[in-house]
Amino acid sequence: MTIDQSALDEITLSIWEQVQNSADLCVKCNICTSYCPVSNVTDKFPGPKFVGPQAQRFRNPFEISVDNSVDYCSGCGVCTMVCPHGVKVMEMNAKARYKLYQQKRVPIRNQLLGRSEVLGKINSPLAPLANMFLNNSLARFIVEKTVGVHRNAPLPKFSFETFRGWYNAVHQKSAKARPLEKKAVYFHGCSCNYYEPFMGKTAIAVLEHNGYEVIVPKQVCCGLPMLSNAEFEAARRNAHRNIASLAQYARAGYKIVGTSTSCTLSLKSDYRHILDIDTEDARLVAQQTYDICEFLLELDDVGELNIDFKPIEATLPYHAPCQLKAHNMGLPAVDLMEMVPGVKVRVVQADCCGIAGTYGYKKEKYDIAMKVGQPVFEQVRDSGSSIAVCDSETCRWQIGHATGVKMIHPIELLAQAYGL
Amino acid sequence: MSGLTTACQLAQARQKVLLIAHGIGALLLASGCIDVLGFQPADSRKPVKNPLNSLDSFLKERPDHPYHYVGRKHIEAGLEAFQRLTNHDSLDYQGSVERNWLLPSAIGALRPTCLAPASLANGDLSRGGRMLIVGFKELRDFYPALISQNLNAQDLGIQTDALTITLPPIPVADDMNVTPIELAHVFERPNFRANVVKAIGRHHKNYDRIGFPAVLGIQHHAEVIADLEKQLGKRIFEISTLPPSVPGRRLFDVLRQTFGQAEGRLIIGSKVVDGVIEKGQVRQIHFETANGLKPVTGKNYVLATGGIYGGGIQSDSDGAVGRVWEPIFDLPVEADQNRHNWFATGFLDSKGQPFAGYGVKVNDKLNPVNDSGNALAENLYIAGATIAGADWTRGRTGDGVALATASAIVEQIVG
Repeated sequence: MTIDQSALDEITLSIWEQVQNSADLCVKCNICTSYCPVSNVTDKFPGPKFVGPQAQRFRNPFEISVDNSVDYCSGCGVCTMVCPHGVKVMEMNAKARYKLYQQKRVPIRNQLLGRSEVLGKINSPLAPLANMFLNNSLARFIVEKTVGVHRNAPLPKFSFETFRGWYNAVHQKSAKARPLEKKAVYFHGCSCNYYEPFMGKTAIAVLEHNGYEVIVPKQVCCGLPMLSNAEFEAARRNAHRNIASLAQYARAGYKIVGTSTSCTLSLKSDYRHILDIDTEDARLVAQQTYDICEFLLELDDVGELNIDFKPIEATLPYHAPCQLKAHNMGLPAVDLMEMVPGVKVRVVQADCCGIAGTYGYKKEKYDIAMKVGQPVFEQVRDSGSSIAVCDSETCRWQIGHATGVKMIHPIELLAQAYGL
Repeated sequence: MSGLTTACQLAQARQKVLLIAHGIGALLLASGCIDVLGFQPADSRKPVKNPLNSLDSFLKERPDHPYHYVGRKHIEAGLEAFQRLTNHDSLDYQGSVERNWLLPSAIGALRPTCLAPASLANGDLSRGGRMLIVGFKELRDFYPALISQNLNAQDLGIQTDALTITLPPIPVADDMNVTPIELAHVFERPNFRANVVKAIGRHHKNYDRIGFPAVLGIQHHAEVIADLEKQLGKRIFEISTLPPSVPGRRLFDVLRQTFGQAEGRLIIGSKVVDGVIEKGQVRQIHFETANGLKPVTGKNYVLATGGIYGGGIQSDSDGAVGRVWEPIFDLPVEADQNRHNWFATGFLDSKGQPFAGYGVKVNDKLNPVNDSGNALAENLYIAGATIAGADWTRGRTGDGVALATASAIVEQIVG
């Protein structure tokens, strides 16, 4: 058993206490287990209390891991959210999963799922071919049998044009890219770069429409997919690269804005609370990071939001992703969308869509994820709307896959209202 | 309970409401019933029959109790508002403020309570007759023999027997640690229920009523009860279990949904850290987000953080003296600051534990006040157990205080 000494060096006592030692706050009330979306639909996961604070007592940094069931935790974080005593259950489980996979190899499948960036780099130039392959049911059957990615899992399509490619080759050469006094930094994430470049284009258009010059600095995958697949060292490497690249902008007072709620959550919180990176730069980057709707709503608070919205008559179901709820900032997207005349938002009253990042892609977890998401799917279907809104990409793919409803990000609606 | 019901009523009155909760409140730790006044005097062994009739003598004995500020009017209005909020398919609260149900607890003690879900109210002991208490070998902390023997020993005019059955295989990961909530989920499966009925066999034939632990479904609770009653041919009732509480869960889910449907905004998992009071008004509060504190400004603020048990009142026993305080606004508290006076000698002392009644000093409008009784912030209201004197362990008034203060606050905010 080896200890990652570099990780220990970076741990400040307060952070260490916040996660591991928060087990001492547990009074075993089982409220977390009562609301765990996973343990409520499967007998493979005994529930967050047992796997989290209870098992934590038997976890010694110098001993082997106590049980395997932690692998069935999806990491959605509902347990941490509902705990009235302040126990960081999900964070504890993420660390326990890391420990578990220090003892055995992280399966190739999990390594692949954790590397959306590498997959993007390889497949994006081959997009038509790669998409044809992934659309083929025989190919997917083979992928399931060999790699372990479920044949029906909602894999996104690769985009031939990457967002960064467009930004550098097209946007920066266009008249739109002009220096402005107000500047914002855009963190695009892998999904925008390799699968949905339109998301970044939309974000830039909306930010520019509000008088911001948008800077897209060098960046790598936020690391969350690796983190949730127990590859902390790899995730830490990415975290450090992002912090190094973003810190100068944070220091200059620029806000770092993202359209992917899970990327922004990593920058805001996971780097510190799960990966134990508690440097001054990390804190600064965390402080300056904003979800795009949060950013725009704060502009409105100070009267700086452009509100020349054209009316859109629509009543739209909206699902708040788990990762967004963990921002603990409320639902800025709802307030923002309802500023568009004619728009009415109906918030889905359910916790999790099931996908939880890469969890629902795994062949042994696909059915669990689909069961977890059932209440969300039902409400989206029952709304009768042909469009539904959600801030997180994997949630959008999952809900779209399960319901057939077209899924959009809140800023797509705003862009339409702006006439962009 | 106080926070969520206040928030629901305000949202339904078209107020824009943000509810910030540090985790799910205490409903999953509670019985799911509404206690208004159970014992008077508090150390009496005889349950109160009619809470309203006993209210005057109670108030005389407890001059510091929050009921003084809200009066009979808001106790009644609070319960009515609760009935309206919980008017839902999966809930069916029965009872009135003028009568206590007499329900069995999970150890066979008597639990006087005003409103109870129909399935629990059906266990009312004042109806008499023969009852069979059924438990499951797999469910810990619910022992039918203990319940039955304790009830029989209390001369209630009822006769009870106990039956412990082994459940059909339960599809949960750890059947040594099955929780009431997990059981409630499996009870929603018709096949599972059919097997339970089979396991009971003919044991229930000679009884008028059959009592189960309160695990008979969550969302489809009404359906589960109806089906079991049909299969067994007897009236069925539930007995509240140790936490997590299934009746509390049913209630929480409905209130959360009601709040959402009224377009209330809920942030669960955050914590309000501090608030700014200037010139007799709260100007702003700050709450924890993933990357730091965020300010929020409102017209009115309701503090429903609970008492000593809920974390709304904090204490520190370091040093020779000790300290008791309200952590968000640092409001003046009614408390003995000397830690040597916090505890009564006996754990279940007949006069209660002094610390349990520590809380924020308020006026008739439920605004916090200073030592001379002047309001510190007129747009800040204190609800439920955070108020000094609300000690719910004595006299069983916890839910009544929560609902009555909610009603009084809603009246002041929306008129």
